[in-house]
Amino acid sequence: MMAAQQPLPNSQAPLDVYGGDEVSALVLDAGYCHTRAGFAGEDVPKSVLPSFYGSIKTSNSDSTTTTYRDIFGDECLYPRGDFEVKNYMSRSESVVEDWDAATKMWEHMLIKRLQPDREMPPIIKNGPSEPAADGEDVAMEDVENHEKPLAENPLLMTEAPWNTGKAREKAIEIAMENWGCPAFWMSRTPVCAAFAAGKASALVIDVGGANTSVTAIHDGMILKRSIQKSPVGGLWLSQQIRTMWDNNEPKVNVVPYFMIENKTPVDAGAPAQARLRKFAFDITPSYRAYEEERLLTEFKESVVEVWRGPGRYLNPGNEELVKSQPGRVFEMPDGWNQMWREQRYRVSEGMWDENAALPNPDGSGKAQTIPEMIKACLSAVDVDLRPNLLGNVVVTGGTSLLNGFNDRLNNELMAMHPGMKIKLHAAGLTTERRFGSWIGGSILASLGTFHQMWISRKEYEENGVGIVEKRCK
Amino acid sequence: MANHCKPALSYDSLQEDSNSYKNNSYLLYRDPLQTPVKKCKLKRVDSTPRQERALRRDFLRQRNHITDGDSGDRGDRGDRGDGNGNGSVYGNSNGNAQFNALDLERDPFNDPSTMSNQQGKWREDQVLVICPGSQTTMAQLGCSELTPPAHRIPTRMFKDEDSDEYRPYYTYKRKKTKTETTAPTDVANNEDEWEYVEDRDSVEGAVYPIQGGRIVSMPAFLAFIDHVHSLLTTTYHNTPIVLMASPQWTRPDCEAIARYIFEKTKTPALCLLHSAVASQYGLKWSTMTVVDIGFEKVDVTCLYDSNIVSHKDLGFPTPVREISGGEVFTQKMLSLLKGKGFTYEMAEQLKRSSICEVLPYVSELPELMELPIESPVVASQGVAHAATGVEVPKITEPAKPTLITENDTENGEPKEPDEGVLDVANIVTSGNTREFLAKREKEKAEKAKTKKQAKGQEAEPAAAKLIRLPNTKRKTNVFHYEDLEHEDVQVPIPNSAPKPDPAAAASVEAPIIETSAAMENASISEEVKPQVKFIEGAEAKANGQTNGDSSAEPIKTVTERRTKRVRKDVEIGPERFLFADRGEINRITDTIYHAIQSIDDIYKRSACWDNIVFVGNGSRLRGLKDNIMQTLTSRHLISPSTATIFTSELPSNMATPSGTGSQTPTGSFTGQLPTTSSVNPLLQAATTASLGVPGQVHAPGSNAGDGTSHHSHGQTPMSIKQAVQPTYLADWTKNGFEEAMFLGSLVAARLAYCIHNLDTATTESQRYMSLNRVDYNENGPKAIRTHSMLGS
Repeated sequence: MMAAQQPLPNSQAPLDVYGGDEVSALVLDAGYCHTRAGFAGEDVPKSVLPSFYGSIKTSNSDSTTTTYRDIFGDECLYPRGDFEVKNYMSRSESVVEDWDAATKMWEHMLIKRLQPDREMPPIIKNGPSEPAADGEDVAMEDVENHEKPLAENPLLMTEAPWNTGKAREKAIEIAMENWGCPAFWMSRTPVCAAFAAGKASALVIDVGGANTSVTAIHDGMILKRSIQKSPVGGLWLSQQIRTMWDNNEPKVNVVPYFMIENKTPVDAGAPAQARLRKFAFDITPSYRAYEEERLLTEFKESVVEVWRGPGRYLNPGNEELVKSQPGRVFEMPDGWNQMWREQRYRVSEGMWDENAALPNPDGSGKAQTIPEMIKACLSAVDVDLRPNLLGNVVVTGGTSLLNGFNDRLNNELMAMHPGMKIKLHAAGLTTERRFGSWIGGSILASLGTFHQMWISRKEYEENGVGIVEKRCK
Repeated sequence: MANHCKPALSYDSLQEDSNSYKNNSYLLYRDPLQTPVKKCKLKRVDSTPRQERALRRDFLRQRNHITDGDSGDRGDRGDRGDGNGNGSVYGNSNGNAQFNALDLERDPFNDPSTMSNQQGKWREDQVLVICPGSQTTMAQLGCSELTPPAHRIPTRMFKDEDSDEYRPYYTYKRKKTKTETTAPTDVANNEDEWEYVEDRDSVEGAVYPIQGGRIVSMPAFLAFIDHVHSLLTTTYHNTPIVLMASPQWTRPDCEAIARYIFEKTKTPALCLLHSAVASQYGLKWSTMTVVDIGFEKVDVTCLYDSNIVSHKDLGFPTPVREISGGEVFTQKMLSLLKGKGFTYEMAEQLKRSSICEVLPYVSELPELMELPIESPVVASQGVAHAATGVEVPKITEPAKPTLITENDTENGEPKEPDEGVLDVANIVTSGNTREFLAKREKEKAEKAKTKKQAKGQEAEPAAAKLIRLPNTKRKTNVFHYEDLEHEDVQVPIPNSAPKPDPAAAASVEAPIIETSAAMENASISEEVKPQVKFIEGAEAKANGQTNGDSSAEPIKTVTERRTKRVRKDVEIGPERFLFADRGEINRITDTIYHAIQSIDDIYKRSACWDNIVFVGNGSRLRGLKDNIMQTLTSRHLISPSTATIFTSELPSNMATPSGTGSQTPTGSFTGQLPTTSSVNPLLQAATTASLGVPGQVHAPGSNAGDGTSHHSHGQTPMSIKQAVQPTYLADWTKNGFEEAMFLGSLVAARLAYCIHNLDTATTESQRYMSLNRVDYNENGPKAIRTHSMLGS
């Protein structure tokens, strides 16, 4: 192809020098629940969008073909007709599942949101005198010669530690071919999270939306055998809450916010009096599920708590103790409200105690708990490294913001390793915890030293996509 | 300096660049992982993003200092490695500044010489304040008086046909009429038969550089800024600029603007100001939720303690743009009234008129609003009911040069009851309201003089009662549409004396009455107003003048652009309430809800719920703010639960005691700032905001535990309130605080440029409010990232 032979202006640079802060490196951190993007060197990602995106079905007039239009961003996810909410990531793996959508989503974030609008290149430049076939070629050339959207921005992407080689190659291909990035790097989320906490060696406990992972990092390198992954994360907890609501007396009726036009205050436990919104179209289950998840998030924020220990919640006496303490009221969008006392501890206990997990309707309640993951992770690590790791436990991920989480984690670790020096590092700021790996990537990419590490465009052109496996170990 | 030194950046300096780079990089390469740790050790100390930024700046400064130290150049900066010497412009100026300042102390931030030469230079009347919007840009020279904007300029440019330049007005070529006399010096004559005419009102071929808050055409935008600048002032070198930035502006956008301003103009300093921060400065509360309803976009920004903690916007392309804001209502109005032959212009004017209202949110009714019903009896009964709760506050409009007529507001409700029986039919049909009102005024005075006991007579017939009903209770109301019609007329000048102005001004009025017959066939009643009102008169005069000037003076006939005011009265039914699209209001309320509820720290949410402000001229729509607030309240307000009746409401809102107690919940700053009496509290707030609050330090090493993130644990919103608007600025109370961002920009201008003799810490933070030329030369356009009030 022409593009491959004609180096872009930037790649003519004699020295491939990129200090992130100087050249506006971009950092992209994709997760199952949110995708974060921003400039390296900044402390929060400029653009945080749900990884869920909308897909509007439009039937053509001849009704034989239907096309889907994808829309991105929180603000477009409102009730519409023929509207599905999808996610480009895989829920079980937290890696990219739908590359087409991923590319579009990332372009929306990295280019639309973070780069200035470009004047549309004139699509047909040739005069009418030129033959049509020839004209097409000219147009093609124009497109190629037209500078690629990220030709000035090196890109650092994060990936799950278990990401496949193929997915990594795909990522560099998109960055280099589609966007024309002058340099690229891929870094694993636990490594970034450790950097964000200021550690080169750490035991990273990342309690995210779709997954929880426990990984040992040594000198900035991931110890592959130590990687542990479990679904015990935010969505798993949501499922536990749903189960709890279903088993509640009376059963909790989950009506997400978008369905409520207005509500009237009612007594605790009394049936809701709310006027529902009417829609002239059907609400798809996927949109409803997305909205319900928002409600569950609010419940997690304001009600759910982790039993702090010592010991397990199910140990005798604990529940009675909690019952005697004041609970928390939660009002549903339709006005129904109830006091939650012991249940709010019970629901999160499955993260720590397998026996406490509430059985889901499909029987999938149980999952590898966090203490088990830590155990498995440490046992896969050299004995000499363990003390250092336990002294540098980095806690990150949005679900770790649950009230009492760190206390419990600390207690569990102390119980597992009596006599060892255990130190937790969990960022005090909510944003730092939620965006831990993005921040780590931002720090990494903005370091002057890091310019040695980038895979430059030239290297990519010489070696092809395989370079990412060789370099980003 | 930057310009004439440009060639000086020769191959040598680049060589040095690369050398130093090699040295440094070798040094740094040894331990690629050591450095993050160092940096993060620094990071450990901070607790707010602001402070962290400050520390990072410090850190980077040190780092640059160290790397620069031995070779005297910045190896790792500005060097994109264009080996052929075509380095970027700021790279050059960068190098120069360093070479020139080689012997000075390397740290520019502690250099007293640079400090003194850029502080305290400007007077309040020198500052140029520009608040660009996608439709109208507010601008003013000088910030000594905190007044509403002196100028409102349509944000549009026109592409020049012949070049790539932009012109501020629509310009067209017109065939010149033959002239008998010779006009040798006339420029227009050089081009044979044609002359260029600027049409200041035309929007033909207009380029709108800002759409939905985003800059869609940077060249046009820069040309526009230039145009605004030249309209207001002719000097550059002592006119620092405050430019309000929309949240949608990207970082490269801001850098491009900074680059243009410093390299193409002689502006000494530029302050970019986030629009929500500007609104905050205008409204003075440190915690608030700013809802900016614009032309085609809505921005919701939550500020907590002067920090932006959450932002959501509507109207961004996703990937297709779904506009939101005032324009949506106009479009809806247009679609409702298309059958009546409404044009866009009419719909827009109707929307702005006093008879158009967003009715209060009524949760029980199917339409969610109480539409007026036909029967006058019922309606008149409703008055008392209406007076209690549903009275919509009158909205004051700013004195717009066109469109907004005083008649509308004078015809509005509050004025009528104190008058006698009004023959409204007469008013509306005559159209000559101004005259009529003047007459009435006279009559009233007479009446008052002759008989003061007339009060007893004022028992009115039922019909008159109906007339007195507020607009919200009337099924129909009459909309006075005024249109300006332009036409080019050949006016012979009676005497050849070159005095076109009075003639033009007079002749504008004279021939209008004749044309009225032709217009008679419009929808209901329509006539041409025989008088040109004073604003229009002025405009017409101005028009006449410019045209008179642009055309050749000595010719016998003058081509004149005449502006007539055509007036139509149209009866509007419930459409004037139904245009308040529920879907759009729901989008706005949902955005507000999600913006506040997605603030990361839960304890910050309730304060943001209690201080909602509406800015942007889209929110001037009558009743819109109240409707939004009512909708939010009836949909989202969490009421105190009866479940807590036996315990207490307190526990669900109190901090959960941390089990380990290892970290006291002081990490985030919640109290009032300690303001010293001498310093403007706004400045204090602003400066502490940009640097974080000193003294809040995490105990290092012991950050197990939940820390600061759970100050309170409870649902929000327990209350939803609008922030109280300040009352001490009479001009602004009259103008309405929808344009508070302009007021805030004035305040910011003062703070950034005109406050002197501050203590060192404050001076240092003042430096970060704006970017001056010295810092620009030192750091290039990217300095705008830190030297600005962009909220991040």
